[in-house]
Amino acid sequence: MDTITARTSTLGRLRSFVLSESILLLLLLMFGAAALFAPGFLSLFNIKNLLLQSVDIMVISVGMTFVLLNGGIDFSCVAVLAMGSVFGAWTMARSPVANTFLAIPAGILMMVGIGLVVGAINGLSVVVLKMPSFIATLATMMVGSGVAVWFASLVAEKASIIGLPESFFILGGDQGYILLPVVIAVALALLAHWLLSTTLFGRWVYAVGTNPRAAFVSGMPVKRTVFLLMVLSGLFAGVQSVLATARNQAGIPSLGDRVFIDIVASIIIGGTSVFGGSGSVIKTVYGVLFITLLNNVVNLLGIEWYVISLIKGVLVLVAAFIDVFSKRVDLVQR
Amino acid sequence: MPADDVLTLRNITKSFFGAQVLHGINLAVRRGEVLGLVGENGAGKSTLMNVLGGVVSRDGGSMELKGSPFEPTSPRDALKAGIAFIHQELSLFSNLTVAENIFIDELPTGPLWSVQYAQMRAKAQEYIDAFGVEATPVTKIGSLPMGVRQTVEITKAVIKNAEIIIFDEPTTSLSQKEKESLFKLIDRLHHEYGISIIYISHILEDVFALCDRIAVLRDGSLVGVDDRARLDKPAVIRMMVGRDLSQVYPKVEKTIGDVVYEARDVVQGRAVRGVSLELRAGEIVGLFGLMGAGRTELVRCLFGVDRMESGQITFRGRKLRSITPEDCIRQGMAFVTEDRRQEGLFMPKPVKDNLVAVGLRHMTGLLGMVKRPQETAEAAKAVGDLGIRVQHPERQQAKSLSGGNQQKVVLGKWISQQPTMFILDEPTRGVDVGAKHEIYEIINGMAKKGATVLFVSSEMEELMGVCDRILVMHGGKIIGALERSEYHQERIMHLALGGRGS
Repeated sequence: MDTITARTSTLGRLRSFVLSESILLLLLLMFGAAALFAPGFLSLFNIKNLLLQSVDIMVISVGMTFVLLNGGIDFSCVAVLAMGSVFGAWTMARSPVANTFLAIPAGILMMVGIGLVVGAINGLSVVVLKMPSFIATLATMMVGSGVAVWFASLVAEKASIIGLPESFFILGGDQGYILLPVVIAVALALLAHWLLSTTLFGRWVYAVGTNPRAAFVSGMPVKRTVFLLMVLSGLFAGVQSVLATARNQAGIPSLGDRVFIDIVASIIIGGTSVFGGSGSVIKTVYGVLFITLLNNVVNLLGIEWYVISLIKGVLVLVAAFIDVFSKRVDLVQR
Repeated sequence: MPADDVLTLRNITKSFFGAQVLHGINLAVRRGEVLGLVGENGAGKSTLMNVLGGVVSRDGGSMELKGSPFEPTSPRDALKAGIAFIHQELSLFSNLTVAENIFIDELPTGPLWSVQYAQMRAKAQEYIDAFGVEATPVTKIGSLPMGVRQTVEITKAVIKNAEIIIFDEPTTSLSQKEKESLFKLIDRLHHEYGISIIYISHILEDVFALCDRIAVLRDGSLVGVDDRARLDKPAVIRMMVGRDLSQVYPKVEKTIGDVVYEARDVVQGRAVRGVSLELRAGEIVGLFGLMGAGRTELVRCLFGVDRMESGQITFRGRKLRSITPEDCIRQGMAFVTEDRRQEGLFMPKPVKDNLVAVGLRHMTGLLGMVKRPQETAEAAKAVGDLGIRVQHPERQQAKSLSGGNQQKVVLGKWISQQPTMFILDEPTRGVDVGAKHEIYEIINGMAKKGATVLFVSSEMEELMGVCDRILVMHGGKIIGALERSEYHQERIMHLALGGRGS
């Protein structure tokens, strides 16, 4: 039973590769199939759309990856989207600093700040109060969503807050700055990847996610690490809020209503284990691209929207199965 | 089989993963007797009882219960056949009542499977009166003290027509009064009800007080079984430990310096009741004790893995204010936990990641980025120094290594930090003979460099072979200490068993 593993046979190596890079292969397959069968897929317009759409959940998914690496989940990220959007928009359009040169920086600060605060609250709940992340973030999500709707109703006649400074919209790809949001998302994904794969903090995240008790005995700062990764998740959600508000050109309290499933699906289908300890930002990026592609193709082919739920569900199951299966087989890591 | 034998075990053998744990046990239990079963940790008592109780299957031999062959394939079979097991951790449901617990697997039902509570309560009351249980049928188990809970468990066993009741260390959580009640109950059980009792305990006074016969296990063999009247404590101890020191232990030349580590009055719950010790540079100090003595709890407190309630630690002249693993590591201490799977290793991660787990924070450069070449080099060094048999440390998962190699990985991650104080909890458990020897040499090597080692083990032999001094724990206290010249197997066991009288 205790055999030395390194599967050196070609078949073994191939199998390891397929299992660990399954998302990339899936992505390429999907892309190929779409190019062949979906009408209008390869048009410039569609590709441009694809890129911008993938940005919609890219940053927030990358942020949540940290939490999943710890075996947890962050329901509140979508509430950060909503609250950030509403409070940020208010700052830029209705607050005392609106219509000044401070409007945009203050707005951005507000949105990112909200993400930070929510992340910190989650972090404290999990680390100090010892609540499971499921419960802690569920609570902040419910409170946050409520606050967003309440505040919007307070300051706006219709449900959303409009009248934001036009130059803010370039962050959403407006006025020819098509690639700006893409660049921002890529930069943040690279930052997150760098953090996880090269720094000491990243090692701690993987160690704590694999075995927090062993990490504790080995002298790693377990509590600090868990706190920080909850904050990071909130922070990234805050940044996503900035991009989303710019794209929608308004503060919308219902922002993020329906993207949670896509976020989680991206991360899981991407290959990060829900048990914690394995996965990566790159995998999540592929996962986001895949989900975006899936949405895009289903749209182009005119398939009913509920079919896509089915497909995503099946894929999540398959990904989870691969996750469990690969843990029983002696595989090469990462 | 003789008319008054209710159970006969013939030539029972059992192996786990190639290591033989029971060597042909032949034992008979007479009707209505109380048979004491004693032996060191690892002697095979639990395994033997697990075979009897249907928890594990035997490899060889046969069992006869009341004249017919007995081959339990599950605990349920054993229960149905009349063998009841009262473990240390009782199998009661603390949120249910006494009556519900007693009848848990045969709840009286009426129409539509509705439970007949009134009937159940009445029946339970009968038993409560018969056995003197200090509770009512509707009292929740969770609110009862341990002693009463135990009586409920015993009641459960008796009404299931148990012919043999096995008690496994029943008095560890009982007060003196509760203990006396238990003994009175056991008396009634075998005199009035004719139930045979197998009583497993480390407390020899109790065994002598209760039992008609005493059986001694050692290293998986039955060393002797005799009437209590013909035995005395020293004889039993001699049977428990008597073995030749067959293994040769590596010797090392070194000097022992001054006291570098001092612990005063460490207390934690009922497990550690005021322990003080002093350790010197270059010294290897053994900590021996039987299960429940508090050794692991003590060392976990010393390293801050669990919180101690009170106590003062001084290391290298400095009083340690906060005791957490992080702080201890910073001070130059290391800790090899008892359970390497749960707390020592990151099983699914590569060996390399495991080897650098402690030292990683010293291998960082700009912006906290880890220096990969340094990481690889340190891991390779550890593999070489400790002789860890692994082909690709950066790819092979820790769980793919053998037990001995895994333990070396755990040691390796600590040694690379060159600690001056090393706490080891059962470092050779589950390790083959060859690797054990290598680990002893590693420990000697560290002591030679001036490090202090606190070596917790259940194997008296290895402590006697490797340590300069042995401390013996019992009941949460250090009850005795022996210098190398005073090492004596029976004396150590005597201390471990409580040390009173001689």
